Amino acid sequence: MATVQVSEAEKVYILHGVRDDLRVDGRGCEDYRHMEIETDMVSNTDGSAKVTLGHTDVLVGVKAEMGKPRPMVPDEGYLEFFVDCSANATPEFEGRGGDELGMELSNTLYKVFNNRYSVDLKSLCISRGEHCWVLYVDVLLLQCDGNLFDAISVAIKAALFNTKIPKVHISEDEEGGKEIELSDDPYDCMRLNVENVPCIVTLCKVGHRHVVDATLQEKACSVASLIISVTHKGTVTCVRKVGGGSLDPESIFEMTETGKRVGKALHAPLMELLQEEESLGKKRQKVGFLG
Amino acid sequence: MLKSKTFVKKTRSGGIMKIVREHYLRDDIWCGSEVCTECKQEETVLQKDTYIESNLCSFPHYLLPDTNIVLSQIDILEDPLIKNVIILQTVLQEVRHRSAPIYKRLKDILHDKEKHFYTFTNEHHRETYIEREQGESANDRNDRAIRISTKWYSDHLNNTPTDKRLKVVLLTNDRGNKEKAEESGLLTYRCKKQHTTVTSVPQDETAVLTSNEITSSKVLFPEHLPLSRIQSGIKSGTFQQGTFRASRDNYLEATVFVHGEGDDSTEVLIQGLQNLNRAVHQDLVAVEILPLNQWVAPSSVVLQDEGPKEDDVTEEEEEAELKSGPSGAASRKPTGRVVGIIKRNWRPFCGMLFLSQIKEATRHLFTPADRRIPRIRIETRQAATLAGQRIMVAVDGWPKHSRYPNGHFVRSLGSAGDKETETEVLLLEHDVPHQDFSQAVLSFLPKMPWNITEEDMAVREDLRNLTVCSVDPPGCTDIDDALHCRDLPNGNQEVGVHIADVSHFIRPGNAMDLEAANRGTTVYLTGRRIDMVPELLSSNLCSLRSSVERLAFSCIWEINDKAEIVKTRFTKSVINSKASLTYAEAQMRIDDANMNDDTTKSLRGLNRLAKILKKRRIEKGALTLSSPEVRFHIDSETHDPIDLQTKELKETNSMVEEFMLLANISVAQKIYDEFSECALLRKHPAPPPSNYDILNKAAKSKDMVIHTDSAKALADSLDAAQVDGFPYFNTLLRILATRCMMQAVYFCSGMDSDFHHYGLASPIYTHFTSPIRRYSDIIVHRLLAVAIGADSTYPDLMDKHKQSALCNNLNYRHKMAQYAQRASVAYHTQLFFKSRGILNEEGFILFVRKNAIIVLIPKFGLEGTVFFENKDKPSPKLIFNEEVPSLTVEGHSFNMFDKVKVTISLDASNVQHQKIRMSLVEPVISGVSVAPSEPEPEVKRAKLDR
Repeated sequence: MATVQVSEAEKVYILHGVRDDLRVDGRGCEDYRHMEIETDMVSNTDGSAKVTLGHTDVLVGVKAEMGKPRPMVPDEGYLEFFVDCSANATPEFEGRGGDELGMELSNTLYKVFNNRYSVDLKSLCISRGEHCWVLYVDVLLLQCDGNLFDAISVAIKAALFNTKIPKVHISEDEEGGKEIELSDDPYDCMRLNVENVPCIVTLCKVGHRHVVDATLQEKACSVASLIISVTHKGTVTCVRKVGGGSLDPESIFEMTETGKRVGKALHAPLMELLQEEESLGKKRQKVGFLG
Repeated sequence: MLKSKTFVKKTRSGGIMKIVREHYLRDDIWCGSEVCTECKQEETVLQKDTYIESNLCSFPHYLLPDTNIVLSQIDILEDPLIKNVIILQTVLQEVRHRSAPIYKRLKDILHDKEKHFYTFTNEHHRETYIEREQGESANDRNDRAIRISTKWYSDHLNNTPTDKRLKVVLLTNDRGNKEKAEESGLLTYRCKKQHTTVTSVPQDETAVLTSNEITSSKVLFPEHLPLSRIQSGIKSGTFQQGTFRASRDNYLEATVFVHGEGDDSTEVLIQGLQNLNRAVHQDLVAVEILPLNQWVAPSSVVLQDEGPKEDDVTEEEEEAELKSGPSGAASRKPTGRVVGIIKRNWRPFCGMLFLSQIKEATRHLFTPADRRIPRIRIETRQAATLAGQRIMVAVDGWPKHSRYPNGHFVRSLGSAGDKETETEVLLLEHDVPHQDFSQAVLSFLPKMPWNITEEDMAVREDLRNLTVCSVDPPGCTDIDDALHCRDLPNGNQEVGVHIADVSHFIRPGNAMDLEAANRGTTVYLTGRRIDMVPELLSSNLCSLRSSVERLAFSCIWEINDKAEIVKTRFTKSVINSKASLTYAEAQMRIDDANMNDDTTKSLRGLNRLAKILKKRRIEKGALTLSSPEVRFHIDSETHDPIDLQTKELKETNSMVEEFMLLANISVAQKIYDEFSECALLRKHPAPPPSNYDILNKAAKSKDMVIHTDSAKALADSLDAAQVDGFPYFNTLLRILATRCMMQAVYFCSGMDSDFHHYGLASPIYTHFTSPIRRYSDIIVHRLLAVAIGADSTYPDLMDKHKQSALCNNLNYRHKMAQYAQRASVAYHTQLFFKSRGILNEEGFILFVRKNAIIVLIPKFGLEGTVFFENKDKPSPKLIFNEEVPSLTVEGHSFNMFDKVKVTISLDASNVQHQKIRMSLVEPVISGVSVAPSEPEPEVKRAKLDR
């Protein structure tokens, strides 16, 4: 992952700051950086969103395609994740440089969404055992400035919120042959319930404390971090530890509590923002990639 | 400005795809009007002065029709009086989506400079583009787009100087759309209202679609099944699919021709209005076969729908009568009922208006010229004007509670009885393409003056020194064959058949070729010829006229004294015909011992060989059949027929025929040897034995036996069938035999295995000798040219499926051309009888029907029906015996070949179906026969009886 070189003196400076709940950029330990969200960015996806967190820039597109339900769960659709670490983000990703990170990120996303509560998979089923919607969630890293997980998770939530799946219904003719019919009204589409989609909160252990939304410099000072995915109710769906150092159980407990609190606090304004943007409809001023 | 259009569609593999298209909006789309000063347009389409005079809009205006108007009123839009119309892109796209043929017609109008139709690309105009809103259907969106554009036009044209100000009138039949448009201050009219007030277009108002259909509470017909039910029914075998063929003689009867696997096709009989269930001739229908106990035999009653029947009583009676027909189990046929229509085959029909008895009525019945088409109900206020005219009517639909289909007036062809009009009707009814050749076709004609070039000479054999001559009927301008004959040093003779090299001028695939392929054949009507290729070719460059150098395709034989072919060769050549003779002239030369020039010698040699060839051919079993053919003497000024005579055959006719047959057979063999898969050949299948039933019965009535097991046996027994004191009997028998024959057809050798030509008793046959008037010959020429290395091939020539498709078209065109020819002769016969008044003639009974006899008058080659039932008279006692067949009327029995005397007159009571009426004079049967008519004034007779 993208790293920065931090000198010992700088580290000490950061550590001391965190100890006093005052970070280099003036935030408190549980504050996020400035976040920008825009949805419906890519017209040829069914749902998309771009999230800018500090200088971290993530684009998520959701494509709905028809597929066959998995044999174990014949009445559910499923999600597929793919993270593409573009060399735009950092030169290190050039060639196959980003593959490892991409894999790690997508694996984490599978874990985070691997529960019955985050997305109502049953609503993605078209006909039991035969057809279901498969949502391909493609994540593109445009710029890395730390805290990728959180940015990605927020972007995914926004993109899923934005996703419009065309409505289909199945008509049966006399011989029992099934025909999939598509509504000719482009506005006639299905929306997903994203209420329970979790957000990831990454907590970095810096010195004796932990910080939310660590910058690259803070990350360099941290030995280990904890990834916690939290729903709007504060339910934790997944916890992972990343980084080389170790965490003692007590601080894990503390970090989880912080994660839940921060996560809950993140969901409410996010949903509000998305609803507001949606309500603007066609009047919304599009910002796009150059804005 | 960039917008994107997004829509979702289903892919072929069943997936669902979201498609995003870029859509650019522009500021530089101009309004196309001459009055506009704002738009920087280079050319304008819409005129400054618009001349649609209308009661509704007295001011100058442009019309702006919506999609439904275009779809339903395309006939009006095509009218030359409707000009200055704005067609929106939205409308154009919708029309294209909904109906390809109408789209094509609309495009043609748009391309017509005279019509001043302007396409406004509103979908790309920045100010008129709209996006579909939530909850809005695609149609609503388009209607809105049309309104927005109309609004834009009105505002836009308001900016022009006041004196030139024009208005835009939106035409719509949609009430909701009209209301909304009026809300936003647009001038909107329903098409009907608009056009009924167009004063200068009298016939237009009749074309207005009857939007409020004739409704009656009574449902007359069973509902048609939906297509899905029909399809599953056909799959499971409960229904059969076939082509509906209405009976010419009986409007309550039809057959459905069900195509089975391979040759296994059957005919299903349909009887009664309910069972016919609104099917129209040539529709593709689904039928259900009735249980065996409901099967009936085809009736031999001749029934004509005699007009609107307010009560159905008479009809039921007729139907009852129909069913009481012969119920012998043997004659019963598979009977069914129509359950649904798979594909309508409606075209605009020619015919006449049958005025409603009620004055001021706007709904009238239209009687099509083709008797197999039912009457059509149309709505018009111009009935009085249209009465007596031949008109074209398109069918719109046939609701289940209506006795007749509903339709609308398309155009008038001219007044009935007018020769031009009648010929037009005849051509239209027989689907004969007869428009002038298009510019694209004419562009492929060689440039005049045309000369044979050095290159042509280099690849062709120079036969200009040969004594070639042509023999044709008098007045023939498209001479496609010429002959020569000369002695060779070895005692054999060289005979050449030279055929016009049309394929040199018509190159494969170009517009002229496609047009010729579509036309298929030249159609000869009495007094008119509809050419297959432009006249420059048919009457000049390809015509092998005398004393000019012409390109030819020659077939040259070396023939020994016994008329056996020693050697055959084919070559492209250049010839110079020494004489173009008529049959009579040629005959005269042969007979005149004093003439001894080269041409005459050549003719004599040909004649001698032809006689041997003919004899040999007849020995092999070629049939000599007969059909009464008549020729008219046409008055050179009025073009009315003044006399008619049956065609006379001279020796020279058969001389030419004999060599043409020989050439055709030689060529057929050559191209088949060379291209066994894709040779275009002609076959004449042997008729199934059942076809000869009528012939056998007829012969039996004179105690004779006709052997029909082979062509040879048939030919011999026909020769032997003579009755003393009845010389015409043999001809009658031959006429009957002709009717037993199958139709000869073109086919592709790769698609068939039976090549035999029954009538000519030849194992293989094709058409090579008339490329000017038959397209098949052009293809054969091309094949032969490839075979001898004189020309290159092209893919379609070697594709047997394409060949086969071409053959189907050619067969169809030939059939229709024949029908058209017959109809033309029939029409001229009527004209002839009109001028001659009532005549008494002798004739022979050709067929016996249940309530009529069909009589042939040898003198005129005319066939007519004598009915024994009359509407206004009590029917005489009729006993029909199908076995003999014979019909006993009041004790007198009529058999086939009986000699009768009839009066012939023209029945002009129905202008459309003017027919020759025959009534019996002898034998005298009281209450049935009529008194012979008064002889015509002497003067007239003397002149005409020459």
